[in-house]
Amino acid sequence: MTPAWPRLLPAGLALVALIWGQDALSLAPNRLMPGAPLMARDVLPGWALLSLPLLLTGAAPWRGAPLAAAAALLVLLAALGMAAAGLLEGAAPAARATLGAAAWLALAALAALVFWPGPARVLAAALLALGLGALAWGGVLDGLSLAVEFHARREAVAAALLTHLWLSLAALGLALALASMLALAGLASARLGAFFDTLLGGVQVVPAIALFGLLVPVLAALLGAFPGLRAAGLGAIGATPALIGIALYLSLPLLRALRTGLTATDPAVLQAATALGMGRGRMLAWVRLPLGLPHFLGGLRVAAVQAVGLVTLGGLVGAGGLGALVFEGMAQFATDLILLGALPVVALALAVDAGLGAMERRA
Amino acid sequence: MIEFDDVSVRFGAAEAVRGVSVAIPPGALAVLVGPSGSGKTTLLRLVNRMATPSAGQVRVRGEDVALADPARLRRSVGYVMQSMGLFPHWSVARNIGTVPALLGWPQPRIAARVEELLALVRLDPALAQRRPAALSGGQAQRVGLARALAADPDILLMDEPFGAVDPIVRRELRAELTRIHAATGKTILLVTHDPIEALELATHLIVLREGQLVAAGEAAALAAPPAAPFLRALFGPEALALRRLSLLRVGDAALDGPAPDAAPEIAPEASLAEAWILMQERGAPVLAVGARHLPWSALLPR
Repeated sequence: MTPAWPRLLPAGLALVALIWGQDALSLAPNRLMPGAPLMARDVLPGWALLSLPLLLTGAAPWRGAPLAAAAALLVLLAALGMAAAGLLEGAAPAARATLGAAAWLALAALAALVFWPGPARVLAAALLALGLGALAWGGVLDGLSLAVEFHARREAVAAALLTHLWLSLAALGLALALASMLALAGLASARLGAFFDTLLGGVQVVPAIALFGLLVPVLAALLGAFPGLRAAGLGAIGATPALIGIALYLSLPLLRALRTGLTATDPAVLQAATALGMGRGRMLAWVRLPLGLPHFLGGLRVAAVQAVGLVTLGGLVGAGGLGALVFEGMAQFATDLILLGALPVVALALAVDAGLGAMERRA
Repeated sequence: MIEFDDVSVRFGAAEAVRGVSVAIPPGALAVLVGPSGSGKTTLLRLVNRMATPSAGQVRVRGEDVALADPARLRRSVGYVMQSMGLFPHWSVARNIGTVPALLGWPQPRIAARVEELLALVRLDPALAQRRPAALSGGQAQRVGLARALAADPDILLMDEPFGAVDPIVRRELRAELTRIHAATGKTILLVTHDPIEALELATHLIVLREGQLVAAGEAAALAAPPAAPFLRALFGPEALALRRLSLLRVGDAALDGPAPDAAPEIAPEASLAEAWILMQERGAPVLAVGARHLPWSALLPR
């Protein structure tokens, strides 16, 4: 059993933010201008106090703590939503009520308590998802500027999410193909394997933005020399440089995992396989691959999470995806738009990590 | 069945095997014995091309192994090793069925064969679905043996097969091997560094030292005096004498002429060791073997 006291840290942060935080909500004249900050005690309805006992039970060392933390988070969010709607009443139509730093800090701290490793975590996460859905469905959050931005951009966000998923999967697939070939070559010659390892390690040192930038003129020259490639759907900007660049980054964790998994097989087992008359192919399919599976899944998990993150940068070279929303928001100084791109990226990365982590533990 | 013809094996600068010529007849249980580093494992691995000779020829069933397809050759020769090398991700049944699966047998035939083999090596059929990690050392070694016998090879190679189990289990497994050898009539080539084990199991002995052949032949003949000094040093004089007694039969040593009236009776198939024990127990210097007799002096080397 892990000690109980570390849970007090996020709980304390949430309390401090709610009691002394200067900026729980702010009312701005439009989506780009900064607004006037308001403290939680000045703006939240009285029933928001209910979240305090829930917060304290959520920090206490008992089985139901994550559930209490989820309830606290939902109460707080509902209160913030109602307060935002109240602020907007009578204001100009372009006015926006935006969540401030204190509110974000309190929400994030409560989320940490919900997802804290321990029993009832999955149940609490389900409760949270259900509650969020209900709040959104009931229009309780509609006053918050993030929801306003989302309603205005609903189609664009959905399309960006799909593109993001597709790009991540494609980059992962490309990297897997490259890493598998390099790993097999490395299995035949240890020297070659070490060389590829160093090569891909070198790629990691190049910043992603620089690598994408480098790939654009290289691809342009390549497409100029072989116009047929353009007909095949390749372009010097857009998805092509992003996919190639991201795949190069992802290849290193995949190659490392493949190499470790393929070479970690017990020599006695390999000797037995040889003595029983297995050829190279059979030994790979029957012995090396299944025995290396936990290693492969570990590498795949790292690479998949990295893919979701790196595809965000693909927005810079016109690949689309949630990154495009983030960079558009940055260009406009529209914080809500940035968050509209960034929050799904974070959720996606966490979901991929949790899903593959569960698979890894089962293997 | 297996012939080594002036075989040498070189690993870099070192010569592991030097000019060994020896033939192992079909149905023999030949034991390769010698101190560690004597090249016995290398000699064994030449048979299924796990090692390649730098000079000379190795023939299996009359054919030069250098010309055989290595995978096919290995599937036709059973192989058991000290570390067993069972596949940890497969059930016992699937481990045993490896070579039949490689040979493309249909599933039902493999399943039937696995059942047969579990019975042959006296393993509880309930173990078939277990993983190797759940087995004791002795059970794992029996699975290794069953796996080697799966496709019914006429030749079985065993590299220190009982090295990793405790002495009691080792004794049990040796008895089991003798039984299986008698029941199946396979040609077995076994490597051990333990002279007692060699003497207990072998019908044929091949003694190696520093990569060279010291002695080879039928165990009874090799154990008879005058044994070469190296053999005496390797086995110890007592073990050698006892082993000789257990290999020779009463019927071969008995003398013509009837025994005294009170002499205890012994069957001609009994070993001289059993005759010696009977003499000790009864205090009788002479035993009756049908119409002939066996005096204690006949037990001494001539």
